[in-house]
Amino acid sequence: MTEQPTPGPGFIDAASAALADPAAVAQRDMLARKTPLLRQQVVDEFGEFEALRRHVKRLRQHTLDNLDHYLRRFELEATHNGNRVHFAADSQEMNAIVLDICRQHGARRIAKGKSMVTEETELAAALQRERLEVVETDLGEYIVQLAGEKPAHIVGPARHKSIAQIRELFLAAHPLGERKLDKAEALVAEARQVMRDHFLNAEIGIIGANALIAENGYTMLVTNEGNGDLCANLPKVLIVCTTLDRLLPRGEDAAALQRLLARSATGQRQTCYTSFYSGPRREQESSGPLETHIVLLDNRRSEILASDYREMLQCIRCGACLNHCPIFAAAGGHAYGSVYPGPMGSVLAPLLDSLEAHSELPDACTACGRCEEVCPAAIPLPDLLRDLRHDKSREGIGPRGWRRGLRLHAWLAARPALYQSLSQFAIRSLNLLGRRRGVLRFLPFASGWTGARDFPSPQRGTFMAQYRKEQDRRES
Amino acid sequence: MSHDSRKKSLARIRGLSSGLDAQTIAQELARLGAAPVAQPLDPDPIVCFMANVLRNQGSLALAADRREVVKAIGKYLYRHLRNNRLVAGNDPHLAALPWREGGVLPRFGEIENGEKAALSYAHWGIAETGATVLGSGKHNPPANQLLPEHHIVLLEFEGIIPDLEAFWRAEPLRRGERPRGISFIAGPSSTGDIEAQLVYGAHGPKAWHVILLGKAPPGALERARQLAGVPGDGDEAAL
Repeated sequence: MTEQPTPGPGFIDAASAALADPAAVAQRDMLARKTPLLRQQVVDEFGEFEALRRHVKRLRQHTLDNLDHYLRRFELEATHNGNRVHFAADSQEMNAIVLDICRQHGARRIAKGKSMVTEETELAAALQRERLEVVETDLGEYIVQLAGEKPAHIVGPARHKSIAQIRELFLAAHPLGERKLDKAEALVAEARQVMRDHFLNAEIGIIGANALIAENGYTMLVTNEGNGDLCANLPKVLIVCTTLDRLLPRGEDAAALQRLLARSATGQRQTCYTSFYSGPRREQESSGPLETHIVLLDNRRSEILASDYREMLQCIRCGACLNHCPIFAAAGGHAYGSVYPGPMGSVLAPLLDSLEAHSELPDACTACGRCEEVCPAAIPLPDLLRDLRHDKSREGIGPRGWRRGLRLHAWLAARPALYQSLSQFAIRSLNLLGRRRGVLRFLPFASGWTGARDFPSPQRGTFMAQYRKEQDRRES
Repeated sequence: MSHDSRKKSLARIRGLSSGLDAQTIAQELARLGAAPVAQPLDPDPIVCFMANVLRNQGSLALAADRREVVKAIGKYLYRHLRNNRLVAGNDPHLAALPWREGGVLPRFGEIENGEKAALSYAHWGIAETGATVLGSGKHNPPANQLLPEHHIVLLEFEGIIPDLEAFWRAEPLRRGERPRGISFIAGPSSTGDIEAQLVYGAHGPKAWHVILLGKAPPGALERARQLAGVPGDGDEAAL
């Protein structure tokens, strides 16, 4: 996240803009209704899903606690398998390593599979600046590449696009004459046709990895389209771009992850392709890459490991927290201004970049807790967001008025008697002001609320007053 | 550059790791036990496998012997492509099939432009997921499973194993064999990237057909169809 010289609008402004487009809002609403149902169905029929979740959490915890051991074992095994293993401290270094490999092979065409890590480092843009032709081969990534956008979702990058919008992009990009292209099937068929040549002619394939298996040096790739596997098998050189925390001890641990990931990400029992790659083609093989590289990005992950936020490294990038977040559903992925949106992104973006650059993201939360409930890694996302808000306040980040307000609130909350009498006074005043209509059209310090809707005038006393009354009633 | 970064990252991580020796780490890992598996659809792994293939939008055919395998392939090719052309990997299991008797003309090798159907031999099938497991190698060029419109997989009943862990415990891997690629294939290529609508034939095969060779337990296919909610269709359970 180092190559973002021009900061976009903040989350609040971007979210307001996103809410102004009714068609996009309707599409997000549809997805927010549909995707949780798909997950729920396969989770319910699994049986011991909670036990699976706990098992994988313990497993990942064990791996991170012994990361030194597993990382060195993976490096040894992957090298033994014939890979070249590279370490990259940051985005620039990962991009430079990949560019260097491309140059060594005189490559011009690159077939790239879906990888959030390469989104994080902005690899495609870095290669294109050096006049390399990079085609995103995952359909969703291809659509956002044509649109000149970033992915709006870590699993479904183009889910925010309608069929009509994708049709326009395809008509402009593919010189294939007149055609209808008014159905998803027709758009998929055209992408298949256009992409086939690219797969066959690319000199370099770039993919990500869902996990790295320490005991045998395999990298794991989970897809539905098969594009990642085409990138991994057809070009003469394969580069796997991933991060150094993606480790699992054994092959059977990948089996546990496989169960959890597919169900949490897309509501499938199993994706169409789950592949494991060990290295370059063996003797007597007539196909497969002749050379394979694995680039392991750190980009502050070893700092996160040392911090109170280390649980965030357990994230398996399934997107379940995005699919269940009311803020994500309302604002959409682009509003976050980070390649990682939603609850996981609101934690990760400040950690990978800086809290100053993403100061509004920890507040992009209603504290409903659904993200933690569905997170397959059981990451306490609402707690981590609250901790980031605490860091913000401690480091003096955010508008001064807001921070003063919070300090005042904290001061009052520590004085219950004063807090209760002021609440009582406020409730009485609001009752008085709204007694005619039952609602208030204007409230001091709350124009953000009353600008769009009326504020209902309080119907009864404060919570504490009602609580005391209830206690008295029970005692009598 | 990469070497410096390696040293720095590993040094930082070393300082944060437990510092336990390899044996203690292995003992800790063993104490975590096994992961729960998905509730089986049926007590019989063969029925489970077949039901899951059908749930994964695959189609199935049963063949009691090798002659029937060729017949089933011929029938599938005629039904879907109205021809008898096929490319097959150089797997001895495929080369040994009595092709002439079934009237199918396979070309052995890697798929080329314009060829629509390819046949692979899978050593394993996973009952838990309905996936066929293919290892890449000289016998199985991966293009044959990724580029055709119709991917046909031959699997023997003995190759059906209960779950994903059983694959990783299988003998060849325990011996240290590491095929370049291992693919768990569970359905035709698909995408949900456009308005979350599921479309088949994204980049890879549009259809995935599994032929099971050997003696099927009586009533297994009917039971599998029932569990998957897929009606019967002669000797081929197709969606």
